[in-house]
Amino acid sequence: MTRLLRQSITLSAANIKSLHRRAWISMSMILSVALVVVVLLGFLSMANGFRKTLDATGAEDVVMITSRGSFGEAMSRLTTNQTHQIEEGPGLLRSASGDPVLSAELLVPVDALTMADGQTATLSLRGVGPNAMALRENLTIVAGKMFTAGSGEIIVGQRLSTKYRNMQIGDTITFGRSEWTVVGHFRANGSVFESEMMADRGVVQTLFERQNEVQSIRAQLAGVSDFEVFRAYVEDELDMGLSARTEKEYFAAQATNVSRIIVFLGWPLALVMAIGAAVGAMTTMYSSVSDRLTEIATVRAIGFSRTAAFIGTLFEAIVLTLIGCVIGVAIAKFGLEGFSASTRGGANTQLAFQLMLSVPIVVQATVLALFVGLVGGGLPAYRATRVPLRSAMTGRS
Amino acid sequence: MTISNNSTIELRGVSKSYQRGKSKVPIFDELTMTIEDGDFVAIMGPSGSGKSTILNLIGGIDTIDAGAISVGGTVLGNMNESALTRWRSNHVGFVFQFYNLMPMLSAAENVELPLLLTSLSRSERKKRVETILEIVGLTERARHLPSELSGGQQQRVGIARAVAADPQILLCDEPTGDLDRKSANEILELLQLLNTKLNKTIIMVTHDESSTAYAKRTLFLDKGRFIQQEMNQCA
Ligand SMILES: Nc1ncnc2c1ncn2[C@@H]1O[C@H](COP(=O)(O)OP(=O)(O)O)[C@@H](O)[C@H]1O
Ligand SMILES: [Mg+2]
Repeated sequence: MTRLLRQSITLSAANIKSLHRRAWISMSMILSVALVVVVLLGFLSMANGFRKTLDATGAEDVVMITSRGSFGEAMSRLTTNQTHQIEEGPGLLRSASGDPVLSAELLVPVDALTMADGQTATLSLRGVGPNAMALRENLTIVAGKMFTAGSGEIIVGQRLSTKYRNMQIGDTITFGRSEWTVVGHFRANGSVFESEMMADRGVVQTLFERQNEVQSIRAQLAGVSDFEVFRAYVEDELDMGLSARTEKEYFAAQATNVSRIIVFLGWPLALVMAIGAAVGAMTTMYSSVSDRLTEIATVRAIGFSRTAAFIGTLFEAIVLTLIGCVIGVAIAKFGLEGFSASTRGGANTQLAFQLMLSVPIVVQATVLALFVGLVGGGLPAYRATRVPLRSAMTGRS
Repeated sequence: MTISNNSTIELRGVSKSYQRGKSKVPIFDELTMTIEDGDFVAIMGPSGSGKSTILNLIGGIDTIDAGAISVGGTVLGNMNESALTRWRSNHVGFVFQFYNLMPMLSAAENVELPLLLTSLSRSERKKRVETILEIVGLTERARHLPSELSGGQQQRVGIARAVAADPQILLCDEPTGDLDRKSANEILELLQLLNTKLNKTIIMVTHDESSTAYAKRTLFLDKGRFIQQEMNQCA
């Protein structure tokens, strides 16, 4: 055993020392592994950062009510009766007159024309109740004013106003048969709301012929600790197929879904690339074996074992792989993380979040890199054990 | 693994052929011969006559089709791959025409290679390497890489490596084929010394008539047969 170890160490070290003879092809293997690692880390850190950021946003004393099982608000529908029942719920913050601070809302898809080439793009117009602003602490009007309740006035996310036509303050914008006057631009701390427009719910319902339709209710709890009693009321007592989540939970669920999609996109792509890299690694390692043919045959003739020849070759593959992996992680660390930090600063971020590396993610990328090294190095290492020994006699080293 | 310290090499009815395309090219057909312990045999013959092949067969790095090769009573064909590998490390040393040193290892590290397969400790290995480098006259060059040595010096490292683990048999395939006359003679003297002083059995393939003077006898190989044998008085 110690003899095998000595042989393996000697051959591994010798292989590494002779790497300069195969500098270019070894470099290509390193870079292809690095590329795979960067791509996988890109996706995983995006998913991770997205989840981490949304995990951190959302208030714990604001509750979101949607129909159960709906992904987000788009598929959710609440009836007028349900809305009334919710208004009666326990644990809600109420004004002196006993009215809860809540906003029943609906989303309608509308078409806008891009500034650049007049292409049609589908945006969301959100019809909101009078408490909408109070329930969104980070929503601020940065130009113009808030729309007047019951009017055909509309406010648009500041980001949209630079991208689409007829969204300057004072402009009239037409959606289907409805006409709106733009009165304000708002920001919402980079959140999804920034890519929406808002108007009075009653007017939206009327003009889009969606009378009495509501998709979600957002309500202020009296306190964080009141959530459970309110949830029990909505979900269990009313038993109307509704779901109540804190805004924080709601975002977290959304984030989980989105980050899952990112991961499900990222892994297959990274895997396909890893297979490509493994094929490339195999080419590199086969050429390493033929480069060392005489050396291998010679030490085998001297009495070095097949296993040592195998390990020596595989070691080289793994060292190249790990170098590629480290380079990939470094690129992700210093390139990707930095890049996302700068997009966060810009006003045009759809959803500001940072690409974030984490230990589990780096471990996953390392495992993938090792897969490349083992698959790419395995067959060539086997080939090294089958080198015909008589080539030692004829070979010029 | 040897029965005694006798390492007589015996070939009995050895046949060997190579596949070339679809046809079989016979190299040896029913070859029989014996090489006693402590012999120094030079083998001459035209290119392609099977000189290297016979060294490979005796050294256990190529296999025969029929017959038997035994060394000191051990039948090589009876051993599996790993047993044969171990046997090689204990019983034979190879000296190659192009030295086949590991280019990234120093002279001393090259000589140490076969010792890694023994149970010697690091310090014992170091001492052994020093002794052997002294025998071949390369003490000063121990730390040099092969590329920093002359051809003759590289071949002396090659011989040092071949004898490092103290095998009884040295198989030398045109060991002076790539050297000038003077270096060649030094190498041949060294081999002769190993034969006379340490009683190593040496089988040396050569193209050079004058090299055979250092051997005890010379075999001429042609078309898979030994056609002539010459005994050398001077040896
Ligand atoms: N691996 C091989 N495959 C096919 N033919 C071979 C192989 N090795 C050697 N030969 C053939 O066997 C014959 C003897 O080869 P070799 O022993 O190297 O001759 P020598 O050393 O006397 O020049 C040659 O004709 C050579 O072409
Ligand atoms: Mg030959």
